[in-house]
Amino acid sequence: MPRVQFEKIVKTYGRVTVLKNLDLEIEDGEFVVLLGPSGCGKTTLLNLLAGLIDVSSGRIQIGGKDVTDLDPKDRGLAMVFQSYALYPTKTVRGNLKFGLAAAKLDHAEQERRIAWAAKLLQIEPLLDRKPAQLSGGQRQRVAIGRALVKQVPVFLFDEPLSNLDAKLRTETRIEIKRLHDETRSTIVYVTHDQIEAMTMATRIAIMNAGVIQQFDTPDAVYERPANLFVAGFIGAPAMNIFPATISTAGGKPSAVLKGVDSRIDLGGYAFATAPREGDSVMVGLRPEHFLAPNQTDGDVAARFSLPVQYTEKTGADATGYFRTDHGLMAVSVSPDRIGELRQGDVAALGFPHGKVHVFDAAGGQRL
Amino acid sequence: MSSIAEASLRHSRSVDETVAFPRKKKRISGRQIAILIFLTICALFFCVPLYVIVVTSLKSMDQIRQGDIFSLPWSLNFDAWVTAWDKSCSGTVCQGIKVGFVNSLEILFPSLVLSIGLSCVTGYALALWNVRWANSFLFVLFLCAFVPFQIIMVPLIMITGFMHVYGTIWGIAVVHAVLAMPILTLIFRNYYKGIPQEIMSAAMMDSGSFWRIFGEIILPMSGNIMIVVLILQITSIWNDFLIGLTYGGIGTQPMTVILANVVITALGEANYNVDMASALLTAFPPLIIYFVLGRFFVQGITAGAIKG
Amino acid sequence: MAFRWSRWSPQFALAPAGGVTLVAFAGSIGWTIWMSLTRSRRFADYGINWDEWSRQYVRLLKDDIFITALKNMVVLGVGSLLAIVFGFILAAMIDREKRGEGVFRTVFLYPLAVSLIVTGLAWRWLFNPTLGVENFLHQIGLPWARFDWLNYPETAMYGIILGTVWQGSGFYMALMLSGLKSINSEIWSAARLDGVSFWRLYLEIIIPMMRFTFLTCAILLSLGVVKAYDMVYAMTNGGPGQSTWVPAYYTIDAYWQKQNLGLASAAAVVMLAITVAIFLPLVLITAWQQRRQEARAQ
Repeated sequence: MPRVQFEKIVKTYGRVTVLKNLDLEIEDGEFVVLLGPSGCGKTTLLNLLAGLIDVSSGRIQIGGKDVTDLDPKDRGLAMVFQSYALYPTKTVRGNLKFGLAAAKLDHAEQERRIAWAAKLLQIEPLLDRKPAQLSGGQRQRVAIGRALVKQVPVFLFDEPLSNLDAKLRTETRIEIKRLHDETRSTIVYVTHDQIEAMTMATRIAIMNAGVIQQFDTPDAVYERPANLFVAGFIGAPAMNIFPATISTAGGKPSAVLKGVDSRIDLGGYAFATAPREGDSVMVGLRPEHFLAPNQTDGDVAARFSLPVQYTEKTGADATGYFRTDHGLMAVSVSPDRIGELRQGDVAALGFPHGKVHVFDAAGGQRL
Repeated sequence: MSSIAEASLRHSRSVDETVAFPRKKKRISGRQIAILIFLTICALFFCVPLYVIVVTSLKSMDQIRQGDIFSLPWSLNFDAWVTAWDKSCSGTVCQGIKVGFVNSLEILFPSLVLSIGLSCVTGYALALWNVRWANSFLFVLFLCAFVPFQIIMVPLIMITGFMHVYGTIWGIAVVHAVLAMPILTLIFRNYYKGIPQEIMSAAMMDSGSFWRIFGEIILPMSGNIMIVVLILQITSIWNDFLIGLTYGGIGTQPMTVILANVVITALGEANYNVDMASALLTAFPPLIIYFVLGRFFVQGITAGAIKG
Repeated sequence: MAFRWSRWSPQFALAPAGGVTLVAFAGSIGWTIWMSLTRSRRFADYGINWDEWSRQYVRLLKDDIFITALKNMVVLGVGSLLAIVFGFILAAMIDREKRGEGVFRTVFLYPLAVSLIVTGLAWRWLFNPTLGVENFLHQIGLPWARFDWLNYPETAMYGIILGTVWQGSGFYMALMLSGLKSINSEIWSAARLDGVSFWRLYLEIIIPMMRFTFLTCAILLSLGVVKAYDMVYAMTNGGPGQSTWVPAYYTIDAYWQKQNLGLASAAAVVMLAITVAIFLPLVLITAWQQRRQEARAQ
């Protein structure tokens, strides 16, 4: 039985529909990340699950129980907020205790849970301090602790790492993953950062404009994006996407790119439906899959000869941008070699078999 | 050494010895002096009535009859104060204005409790909870803040009569609460709107209870606005005249009403020093609060007015 | 749908306030309007003779004293505008010359902490012809000076205006100060760079930017004027004669002295009508200005 179930969720604000007939099932113990750009509806979905806002229509079930009409505190959930939302006039202990006292737990049990959570998150020395006296990272741990002490099966996270600096973000990410492993709870996590999604999730639900584009494991989302949106969203730098037409000359399918003088050999591509001559498609090539420039001997799916537009170097990575008639082609290059590419130079680029992505030009679906 | 190096060495030495372009020390400009003088004259204008009250209350009647209103007292004579406090006559009762002082104190506490209690909770509910008709209600409250007292005066007499509190302390308190409710509710509501929504969300997840969240989370966060509102209300209630006059009975008239009786409806020659002493004594409590907690006073005015 | 406590508990908590609004405000206003259509004298008489519904109002308009009261109210309102002007000047000066801001603000604002009765009595004392300011002026060599305004019907209102301005200027100053402070400090810098003269700066730039503050002050002032009672009572008791009566005074006298509930109610309704007549346009202007500003910002 799935732990969390969304059925035909519709949410409108006046004339604006934010979520249209959304279905989602989350299994027990999963770490599901709702990923998407601003305004895609992920936070709305989380708030609907929490009960902080009401659905316009549809049903939400938690642990098999219909919670659509229940108050947040009756749903068996705990939530961690982006800005921590600690009660400013209470000590850390008071913050942890508030929900427990409201649930009318007896004193001994409250103390036991607070001690357990404090130990788990290493915030024992902070118990008598007020939030104003804590650092950002400490506050975040207290916020997580406040959720932990409720000992519920489902935890909700609303972009909890956004307010932390980069170093803290990495540390807390590991921390949250560790907690997930130890408590074996179900986690629903909202973020717009794909790194967080890729590193923490068991499955990612990528959303855009109120619709779930793909709900799959991180690997699947990366290697087999279901449509153009997912393909362009996952991966940095973003996947190169070019329009092309299918040619079936010689019995072997290939794509003729528009605006780039090249033909991509699509032999071996697992088409869902057989391609036809002249079909309009969009071809996706990830920058990190290109072979090193000017080393294109061997069996490649496609060869390009393109002039360098400019290069970017960021310490550990480097990217070369090549000019085509259809925009820039981004290619990941080893930082050692990026210096060899000077603006205007024409480089030979090779793309290996098996890494090409083909999408329908009209609907964006993966072919 | 190169010639450039030598020249710069020479130059740095001369910088140590003399300032290259000495600046004239900036004097206070004529305009600034003019502004200060103007402001000081205005300040004196504002101080005149208070000065006159204090000074007159300390003079003897002989000196007053001399007619020099601005002169300092010949000797510091507190007799008028004592008379005012203990023996001045309001109507047929000559118990002094201390009666009014006690009454005003007695009126203060229930009025504060009722008016602030009602407005605080109402403001909290309107600001932080999802009530469909909240905005309409706020607009109505906004309108009520401008309703002239006279148009609800008589019905309130009937209502307090119906509640059996007309003429008592609680009657006055109820009327104060009713009249202050619109504007205090608006003040509280605006303040509570400033509380981050996520704190309310967290509290809803922890405990959806209206009263528990109010008592344990929101109220402790209200310190600032409470002081402001308290000062606003204390001043307003203490200085009130019309409500005390209309709804007070013989034994429950506030100090301002007794003052008015002492001064305005007195018979015979007016004892100006006693009159002024009575006025001063009536003005003391809010003035002291003002001078001690002036900062919050200003906040209260701007809070009340800007929302009004 | 199941009973959700979180939906209903705030509504229950709002019930007292809602009740108060309904009964003490809406209901009361309705009741008073009803009374104004009746011939109630000492006690409420609920019967309305529809042929003569405007009886009380006609009586009001025929009553010279009520007309005087209305006139006085207008005079008071116009005169009190001085308080806004004065308040603005004080605020502008304090804002320019930062020295002593705290002290000056404290001095200008303390009148608000003083009861209107006390204020009225102080000014009454100052206006005393033989022992007050007039005597003082005579003694310092101005024997022709007159400061006995309260003794004559023609000048009594001016005395009340003076007292009101004294009491209120500080308040408007405080509002203006916060309005001035909200003006982007870069405006001052730009003006200095452009070499804009003092007067032009204020008249053409600052004052227009403070439209809302001025409007707020105008609204508050007009409402204060309609409600004015304490000050009049303390300074002149309505006198000399009835030359300083204001509508509020009239209403209260009609109820307590004349024991005529119908008449008093009619006077109160007129007060309400005046309030609405002043309030509505001012608020509409404010809202319109605000909408224009928001539209321009987009």
